[in-house]
Amino acid sequence: MDRRGDSLSESVWTRMDRKAGAIIELTIRQLRHRISTWVVLGVGVLLMALLLTFYVDSVRESFEPIDNDGDSEDNDGDGYPMGQERKYGTPDWDSEQYPGASVFVPESDIDWNDQYRSAVGNKSWQGSAFFEASWVDDQYTGEWWDSHVDWNLNEEGVPELEDCSDWEVEEILESFWDGACDFGDADGDGMTTYYVVGQWRGEGIATVPEGDYLSWGHWTKEVYVEPEPPEMYINEDGIDCFEGLVLRGTDWNDSRVDCPSESRLSGSHGFDNDGDCLSANDGYGDDENRNGIRCDVQWIATNGVVTRIEADYLVDEDPDEQEYIGELGHRTFVIAVGKMAFVILLGLFIPLFLSLGLVRDETENGTLHLLLSKPIHRAEFIVYRLAGYLAIAGSYVIVLSLVVGLLSSILGPGDQLVRLSDIPVWMGIGVATTLVLAAYGSMFNAMGLISPKYGVYLCIVFGIWEFMMGSFSILNPNWAVASVSISHWALQMIDAVVLLAWPDTIQWAAMDGAFGIDSGLSVFWQPPVHTLGTASAGVALLNSLLVLLTVTVAWIFIAKSVFSRREIM
Amino acid sequence: MTMEGQEPPAVLIDQVSKWYGQVIGINDLSLAIDGGVTGVLGPNGAGKSTLFKLMMGRIRPSQGSVRLFGVDPWVNTSPYRRVGYVSESEKLYEWMTALDFVTTLARLHGMTREEATDRSAHVLEFVGLADVMHKELGKFSKGMRQRVKIAHALVHDPELIILDEPLHGCDPLARTSIMSVIREMGEQGKTILVSSHILEEIERITEQIVILHNGRLLAIGNLHAIRGLLDKHPHRILINCEDPRSLANLFISEEPVFGVRFPRDGQLEIQTNDLSAAHSVLPSIVVGSNQRITSIENPDDNLDSLLSYLIKEEG
Repeated sequence: MDRRGDSLSESVWTRMDRKAGAIIELTIRQLRHRISTWVVLGVGVLLMALLLTFYVDSVRESFEPIDNDGDSEDNDGDGYPMGQERKYGTPDWDSEQYPGASVFVPESDIDWNDQYRSAVGNKSWQGSAFFEASWVDDQYTGEWWDSHVDWNLNEEGVPELEDCSDWEVEEILESFWDGACDFGDADGDGMTTYYVVGQWRGEGIATVPEGDYLSWGHWTKEVYVEPEPPEMYINEDGIDCFEGLVLRGTDWNDSRVDCPSESRLSGSHGFDNDGDCLSANDGYGDDENRNGIRCDVQWIATNGVVTRIEADYLVDEDPDEQEYIGELGHRTFVIAVGKMAFVILLGLFIPLFLSLGLVRDETENGTLHLLLSKPIHRAEFIVYRLAGYLAIAGSYVIVLSLVVGLLSSILGPGDQLVRLSDIPVWMGIGVATTLVLAAYGSMFNAMGLISPKYGVYLCIVFGIWEFMMGSFSILNPNWAVASVSISHWALQMIDAVVLLAWPDTIQWAAMDGAFGIDSGLSVFWQPPVHTLGTASAGVALLNSLLVLLTVTVAWIFIAKSVFSRREIM
Repeated sequence: MTMEGQEPPAVLIDQVSKWYGQVIGINDLSLAIDGGVTGVLGPNGAGKSTLFKLMMGRIRPSQGSVRLFGVDPWVNTSPYRRVGYVSESEKLYEWMTALDFVTTLARLHGMTREEATDRSAHVLEFVGLADVMHKELGKFSKGMRQRVKIAHALVHDPELIILDEPLHGCDPLARTSIMSVIREMGEQGKTILVSSHILEEIERITEQIVILHNGRLLAIGNLHAIRGLLDKHPHRILINCEDPRSLANLFISEEPVFGVRFPRDGQLEIQTNDLSAAHSVLPSIVVGSNQRITSIENPDDNLDSLLSYLIKEEG
């Protein structure tokens, strides 16, 4: 039978190679001749271009300083930003209270229990009393905004009030609730006595009736405090790390180290640079993390990696965007694009268009008999067809991921021209997507064979399931149901690759949450789940790889057993 | 291939039946073919294509066994190294050139690209497509497409060639060329199975025939022997001429002729019991009549009448 005089060294394997090569090449050429191939691949390129423009846009925006804690705002409109008001202990919701404004200082009071029931002086009073006045201030607005006594002064500066000099004292006490009445000059010393209820300021002798209450104090002198510019309260409290010791108030700049990249210390760090935590003094928040140290940040590390950061309220809460959002935003972009655009969108749509008809269409076009009249097994045929499809789809995805990776790494933060540490992540994204293409490809191809007519609907149902499980997997990778999907494992693979290429991502995610940087990193990335208890990204990577390959092979077997029993008319 | 007793025959069909639901495709067929050109004759729906699909492992017999070179083609594709198959399907990869197409399929036999290209160019030349082998198949005529299909079936130099209706839909020129290709392959000592529903086509290619009817084997053997049986039965010869009546006078005196009729103006029908004898006297009478004869037809000399005769014989 070997009449062609083929060389004896030619083995079964080289012949198989040649057959594989021929079918792979045929498949590639067939796919190249279909418009839908170019449409779906073109849409993928457009999608990536769009995402990159978003990235360029967000890179520019995120480097503008952001007031993470909002203390540069002047909510009450008194001209002082919240940060300055916090330092002076004035509220940012009351325009009457601001740094340097006069403050009421309480002095004493007379309550129902006191024996001696008179007080003398020029005070600000509050309560009820018979007040023998030498002077009253009718402009007094008091500490609060109500119950100010209206003295109704006439042109000579004498109060014109209801006359209650004829009344019994009990009658006055029972019927008078608000304001003042003229009790007359009973002792004839020329100073009129008024019965007053409310807030007022004046000089005189106050006599408090039995059972009534009066408190008094004075207002400090108003000092002018220069309002600070709001910019002072933007990026004013960065993330500090301290080597070993916690320093309070002295020379913290000297012992500050670059914490995200070099120091992965567990312990108490952080300094309230803008003083808003230390001056808040409101009894809570200044040791929210309950480590016994006021206004600090507790870094918790396991195996040399910071896994959790617990910050007291208003400590390190307004870090410099240039320093953090750049890196965090870049990583978030890479991970989000890898997961959403590559694995979920391209991973689903490319096979839906390219793999469903790999074998089925040959049957429908009536060209299958040409191939099956050759010495080639049907199972072999399926594998080679899938290989041809993967040659197109896989190389497309890997090239696309590297191009997007290269562009984003040139645009991204960092001193070097190209961020070398990005390359393995993008490679991982490319490989994970290729594995997804293989798994979906073999699955959709099998669907097309199982039901040539309705396979496409089956695929769409599966596609919706995969899309949903993929989305859930991003939000909560621990949800067990989601692991019954192909996308889950590919997303896990990206999580693992990210952790291998950027080992400090856990720390960045913790910083993102602890300091309100809001980059979205912890939404799109969480440490890989399937580590078999080792917490090792490598194990998770192998695990995902194995699952994806097993799924691919399983669907090839299903397709094979369906196809080799099928009679081809 | 027949010289060694232990070598299994190229085709061995043993009590094979194939039915599609209620419809019978092949009914208890047994057949062994090895060497030479065999025509598989039968009207449409007789089971010719079903038989070939069984041989090509595309469908599975409901009963019985099919063997190509002793191997069951449904479970094992190895016999296809020695088989070339021309399907009845017209579908090709329209965007490929003829050379490309044949080369791609040749590579499925494990040839290298160079080897495949060389051999493809060679077989395309053999089937007479050398000058168009760089054209796209989409632009090919039916006859050219049939020849491309034959080329792809020959590219690996098979021992057994199965051609399903290779002449179907071809123009006379293509027919002649394809027939000569088949005859030439037969002369090279290959086993060839060629199906048709037109008796005359097969007659021009081979004398060894298998006749299928309703999925059953109706006759097997030499076409002329079978035809000879048929010749002894009443036959009609239709002659279109200027003056049928004067021509009838010349015929009526001849031995094999037992009657004449004038079915239409300018048409003579001669009735005979011995078709070959009638045909042997026919030329001299026609020449002697000095008439212009436009056509001579044998309306009973076709597969239908052969079949109805054979079925009657069987019954």
